[in-house]
Amino acid sequence: MSYLTHSSRAEAFVLDHDRTSWHDETLWFVRQKRDKAVYAVPEFQELRNLASGIKDHTLSRLDYYLEKFEAAAQANGVRVHWAADAEEHNKIVLDIIRQRGATRVVKSKSMLTEECHLNPFLIEQGIEVIDTDLGERIIQMRDEPPSHIVLPAIHLKKEDVGETFFQHLGTAKGLTDPQQLTEAARQHLRAKFLAGEVALTGVNFAIAETGSVVVCTNEGNADLGASLAPVHVASMGIEKLIPRLSDLGVFTRLLARSATGQPVTTYTSHYTKPMPGREMHIIIVDNGRTKQLGRPDFRASLKCIRCGACMNTCPVYRRSGGHSYDFTVPGPIGSILSPNIDLKKHSTLPFASTLCGSCTDVCPVKIDIHTQLYKWRQIVSEANHLPTAKKIGLRFMGSLLASPTAFKFSGLLGRKALRLLPYGLTHNKTVNAWAIARELPEPPKQSFREWFAKNQPESNA
Amino acid sequence: MSTSRERMLAAVRANKPDETVLPTVPDFWGDDSLERFSTVLASIGGEVMRLASLADLEAKVHELWPAAKLIASPLFPPTLAIDASTPTDVLADVDLAVLPVEIGVAENGAVWLPEANMLHRALPTVTQHLALVLDHRRLVATMHQAYAQLPEGPGGYGMFVAGPSKTADIEQSLVIGAHGARSLVVLVY
Repeated sequence: MSYLTHSSRAEAFVLDHDRTSWHDETLWFVRQKRDKAVYAVPEFQELRNLASGIKDHTLSRLDYYLEKFEAAAQANGVRVHWAADAEEHNKIVLDIIRQRGATRVVKSKSMLTEECHLNPFLIEQGIEVIDTDLGERIIQMRDEPPSHIVLPAIHLKKEDVGETFFQHLGTAKGLTDPQQLTEAARQHLRAKFLAGEVALTGVNFAIAETGSVVVCTNEGNADLGASLAPVHVASMGIEKLIPRLSDLGVFTRLLARSATGQPVTTYTSHYTKPMPGREMHIIIVDNGRTKQLGRPDFRASLKCIRCGACMNTCPVYRRSGGHSYDFTVPGPIGSILSPNIDLKKHSTLPFASTLCGSCTDVCPVKIDIHTQLYKWRQIVSEANHLPTAKKIGLRFMGSLLASPTAFKFSGLLGRKALRLLPYGLTHNKTVNAWAIARELPEPPKQSFREWFAKNQPESNA
Repeated sequence: MSTSRERMLAAVRANKPDETVLPTVPDFWGDDSLERFSTVLASIGGEVMRLASLADLEAKVHELWPAAKLIASPLFPPTLAIDASTPTDVLADVDLAVLPVEIGVAENGAVWLPEANMLHRALPTVTQHLALVLDHRRLVATMHQAYAQLPEGPGGYGMFVAGPSKTADIEQSLVIGAHGARSLVVLVY
C-alpha cells in the first residue's frame, strides 16, 4: 500500500496563497504572544528544566506511579480501567455508556480520543457524541479532523465558520462576526450540556499522590459537561502522570504561556472524587506508548504536555497546515510520535522539517524534537521507506561528498552547466523540483577553493 | 490470560529507563501585591473591585448587578437556594453566583475555588455571571505558593479560575463568554 507524502498533501493547502500567508502569520502571532508571556517570567528556563526533570523521573518509575495513582483514585471512589489499545479504550467507553442506558454524550477536547477514533465508533453504535469545545464543534460539523491540538479550527476563516453555522445552526446567511457566531454556539451547546448523560474529557495531568486528574480549558466546557452529567469518563495516556500535587505549580506555569501566551488557562480543574450518587471513571491507555518508552532515542517524546508551541513556531507547519500531516498530532511533535505508530505510513513526516531546531527551543519540557526528527530519518532510510528519487539522490550525494576530487569536479561542472545550458532545461520543473517556485542562484565565476588558493596569505613557516 | 493492566505494567517495567532523581522545586518568590493581581486579571478579561468589608457584600452585589434576578450565594440570603442536589433545569436559570474563594494568585489572576464553596459543582460554570469574594490576605505570588496552601489536597473537586470563560477558536478573535460565565469580578475585602 502506498501513502501520500507530506509534501503532496501540503500542495492543496499552499495553492491558496492568501490563506497560506494568513495561516503562517496567525500562528507566528501566537508564537510572539508566547514569547511575551515567557519573557515576563524570570525563572522560565529553570521551570523548563524542572518540568523536564519531573517528567524524566516519572517515566523512569512509571510502573510505580501508575499503581500509586490507581490505588489513590480507587480510594476516592473512582473506577479505573486499563486499555492496551484504541479498540479496547473505545469498548470500555461504550460499555460505560450502555450500562447507564445513555445515548447523549458531551465531550471536551481530548487528543487521545481523536487518536482512538472514538467519535465515529460511538456514532456507529447509535450514540450522539457532541464535541463541546467551540473549535472542535466547528470541525465536527464539517466532518474534518482538527488541524492543531490547541487551535483545532485554525485552518478556517470566519466566513467558513459562518457558512457552517448557517447550515447546521440556522444562523443568518453571511454572518461572520465571531462574537455572534460564538453566541450561537453557546446557545446550541448549552442545550447539549443540560441534556448530557455521560461527559467525556481528556486529561492534562494525572497526580499520582492524590489520584486526581486535572483538565485545563478556557471555555469551561469540560467543567460544564462533567459537573452536569451523572457520569464522567476521563481518558488519559500513561504519560500524563506527575508525582505530586505541588508539581502542578511548575506545569500550570508553563502550559498556557507556551500554548497561547496566556498566564494560565481560564479553568484549571481538579477532579478527584465523584459527587455522591454519581460515577467517575478513568481509562488509562497504552496504544503504543510503552513501545515508545522502550526506544531510548525517542522516549523523551512521552514528556509532551500538548501545548502546541512547536507547531506555532515551525516554518513547515505554519506553511503546510495541520491536515498535511495526516496524524492526530501534527507538527514537529507529531512527526516524532507518528513513526512509532506506523513507520511506513508516516515515513515522510520526519522530513517535514528544516531541522532549524526552533521546536526544541520553545518546548516547555525540553524534548529534543529536532534531534529525534533527524534520528527518525535514519530509521526510515534503514527500513527502506525512502521514495526512490530521494534514495538515489542521497546515495549520489553521499559518494560525491565523500570524495574531494568528485566534489571539486562536480562544482566546476555545475557552475559551467548553469551558465551554458538554456534556462528552460536548468529550470525544468520535472527534473528540478527546486525550480518549481524558486530561482537558482547566479553561478559564481570561481569556487571558494580557487579563490582561497589565489588569496591565501603567505605561510610563516 | 493476563489483563491489559498486567501487560501494560509489565511493558513499562521492561522498557522504562534507569531511575532519575525527582527534582525539588524551589520556592520562587515574586510579587504578591493586589496591584499585580488586579493588573493581570484585567488583562485576561476579569475585574477586581474593592469591598470595604464583608458586611458590605450584599449591598455591593445589588449595586453592581441591578438586573440580576436569580442570585445564588452562601454569603448572604440568596434569591435562589442552590445545593448539591439542585436539579439541572434550576441551575440553568442562575443569573449570578457570588462565591467565596480561598487563594488569589498574583502572577496569573487565578483564584482557588474548592467544591465546598461552590454550592453545586456546576454553579461556577453554568451561571451567567460570576462574582468571587477574596480576602486580600490570601494573595500569593505564584502557583507554587498556591499549591503549597493545599496540604490536604485539592478536595473532591476544585478549580483555579482565571477570568471569564473565553475562546479564540474563530480566526483567533477573542470572544468573552464561551460556555461558562460571561463575566468575572473578584471582590476583594
